[in-house]
Amino acid sequence: MSESKLINTFARERVDNLASQNGEPSWLKELRVSSWEAYLQTPMPTGRDEGWRKTEIDSLDLSTLNAIDLSTKNDLKAKLPDWFETALTFFDNHSGVVAEVGHSSISAKLSADLVSQGVIFCSIKQALHDHAELIRPYLSKIGSDQKFVLMNKALFNSGTFLYVPANVEIEGPFVSLTHFTSLNGAPNGVAIFPRLIAVLGKHSKASLVNVLSSEQGKESKSSSRSLANALVEVHVEAGAKFEYLELQKFDDNVFAITRTHNQVEQDAVIKSLTVAIGGSQLKGDIVTVLNAHGASSDLQGIVLGDTDEHYSFNTIQKHNAPNTTSNINFRVALKGNAQSIYQGIIEVAKVAQKTAAFQSNKNLLLGAEARADSIPKLEILADDVKCSHGATVGPVDREQIFYLMSRGLAAPEAEELIVTGFFRQILEACTIGRAKEWVYDVLAEKIHQV
Amino acid sequence: MTAKQPLLSVQNLHVKVEDKEILKGVDLNIYAGEVHAIMGRNGSGKSTLSYTLIGHPRYVVTEGKILFKGVDIVEMTPDQRARNGMALAFQYPVAIPGVSVSNFLRASVKAIRGKDVPVKEFRQELKAQMKKLGVADEFLGRYINDGFSGGEKKRIEILQLALLKPALAVLDETDSGLDIDALKIVSEGINNLSNPETAILLITHYQRILNYVEPQFVHVFQDGRIVKSGGGELSKELEARGYDWVLQELTSSAVS
Ligand SMILES: Nc1ncnc2c1ncn2[C@@H]1O[C@H](COP(=O)(O)OP(=O)(O)OP(=O)(O)O)[C@@H](O)[C@H]1O
Ligand SMILES: [Mg+2]
Repeated sequence: MSESKLINTFARERVDNLASQNGEPSWLKELRVSSWEAYLQTPMPTGRDEGWRKTEIDSLDLSTLNAIDLSTKNDLKAKLPDWFETALTFFDNHSGVVAEVGHSSISAKLSADLVSQGVIFCSIKQALHDHAELIRPYLSKIGSDQKFVLMNKALFNSGTFLYVPANVEIEGPFVSLTHFTSLNGAPNGVAIFPRLIAVLGKHSKASLVNVLSSEQGKESKSSSRSLANALVEVHVEAGAKFEYLELQKFDDNVFAITRTHNQVEQDAVIKSLTVAIGGSQLKGDIVTVLNAHGASSDLQGIVLGDTDEHYSFNTIQKHNAPNTTSNINFRVALKGNAQSIYQGIIEVAKVAQKTAAFQSNKNLLLGAEARADSIPKLEILADDVKCSHGATVGPVDREQIFYLMSRGLAAPEAEELIVTGFFRQILEACTIGRAKEWVYDVLAEKIHQV
Repeated sequence: MTAKQPLLSVQNLHVKVEDKEILKGVDLNIYAGEVHAIMGRNGSGKSTLSYTLIGHPRYVVTEGKILFKGVDIVEMTPDQRARNGMALAFQYPVAIPGVSVSNFLRASVKAIRGKDVPVKEFRQELKAQMKKLGVADEFLGRYINDGFSGGEKKRIEILQLALLKPALAVLDETDSGLDIDALKIVSEGINNLSNPETAILLITHYQRILNYVEPQFVHVFQDGRIVKSGGGELSKELEARGYDWVLQELTSSAVS
């Protein structure tokens, strides 16, 4: 890692540098700068803020972080992590892979067919270069007053852009990887700001697998924290169908803050699965806005925590129009001393009559010291709605364990089978390639680790 | 001690559940090659005996012994007992959503046999047993006991035992809830478990299954112990005369 890349992240200078070193157009620089100014105006969240409960955000010392630039050079032969190579075997019909692995960037080879239909799948850097006018409106379409979203919008320097024109339907999934080394040998941690934008034109159909990860370090977590601040913005236009799978698999010195915003228009459908299986602190917001008549969303979440990992996921189902439906199914299993807090917010606007909104959160406590909290929050202003929410927190059912043991399985084996089964029910909903088998394997592997 | 050692020997077994004594001195010897039936009123402790045999942690042995293959198993965990050759078909098998029947069967067969069975071989064996028991293929992909009808649960229990081939099979009301045809099929399944090396302990309320699975010994359970034992004909007598008859006989013999 060259010294010149290690510029303290949180300085206006950094914003200027990004703009000039990437040869960005002036409008983009203006966008970055205005986000930066808003960032400065916004107070830093604290652990006392409702959305940040139990995140230990106060322990994140931004002044020590150094932003690193991912994907500074195109390198088709760059080495992908072994586990990611394995993952790709589950998506053998993929439509393209974009990978940013440290400094290297691997671009997707799209079929001539996709290219001729106007499909774009590339790194966000390349999109800003080659398709600036196309991506431009999407950079500012979704506003935010969130400190870390503004930070990302000012400093984003990696990530992926998917654009599927109207009426184009694509079977094989797109796959995106953002992988970094959080331990740079220096005393300070690093920071990355990936931004993913997916645009599904009217009546189009596609799926995307997004993997956010960092190198499993050999050093202990006593070494300094690194930050991954990721922003995912999904625009599902009228009548379009989108399926999304995200895996967050970080090293245990990474503080990851992710925000996903799904904007769903008339009669459009989004289906998504978020899987979080590693990191020191993972704080994720998943906002789904059902913006027009007939929009629907079906979100699944999986958290598998171990040791002293900390997970804080907030989902927000926002019904802005009548006849919209949303469903959330969020499951958490915690080993060791892992902790999780899930906050599920359902907001139904006054105009959003005939809305259906469902939310379920189940938590399995495997470790004696594991802790899970579940907080539903309903803000329903319309009067003709169907709405339900439910949460459970508890250990594995002893009767289930006993049943499996009575058929010869040792206690740990029995527990493992029940926990993977707990997640399998959620995985069933995912129809991207052989994604569910892959995720199942990834989960089983983590359960095996002691 | 006879030359032959019993496969199962229950001696003066006392069992507590949540500080309440349920079994109050059960004595029972079962030899390889035998089929035993236990009958008795609701709540008399039959299921408690079966749970205790397989080692459910809620049932605490306060007195007495359970010797299986000559070894006291009271301190053994359920999986150790299972790997030792004991199996219980539950009266109320629990559902485990998310765990498919096929995954579970493979895991349990592997655990019991102590080695992985090649996939192809296992599938063949499984398909053959499923056919015998009239279990449709779709059950393999379904979650264990999840949404199964009462009769379906019982069939799957017997399917598991057929694959595990236990030395001692304890069947707790496996006949309850079965339709007439299913009863026949399941009874055949039970008979197939029986051979000169194995034994069966069948808990039931009904004479009907005993027309298909013929026990050499019938025991009457009452208030946590066996109060009367006899041959196969005892079940018919019970059916005709009810449990009061046994009790009256007991009290009158006690008086005389
Ligand atoms: N967990 C428990 N807590 C309290 N009492 C229990 C528990 N388990 C069993 N018992 C009691 O022990 C007694 C025997 O129950 P058990 O289930 O062994 O009867 P059973 O003979 O199998 O009856 P059935 O013919 O109805 O199946 C009953 O009075 C029952 O209520
Ligand atoms: Mg019973």
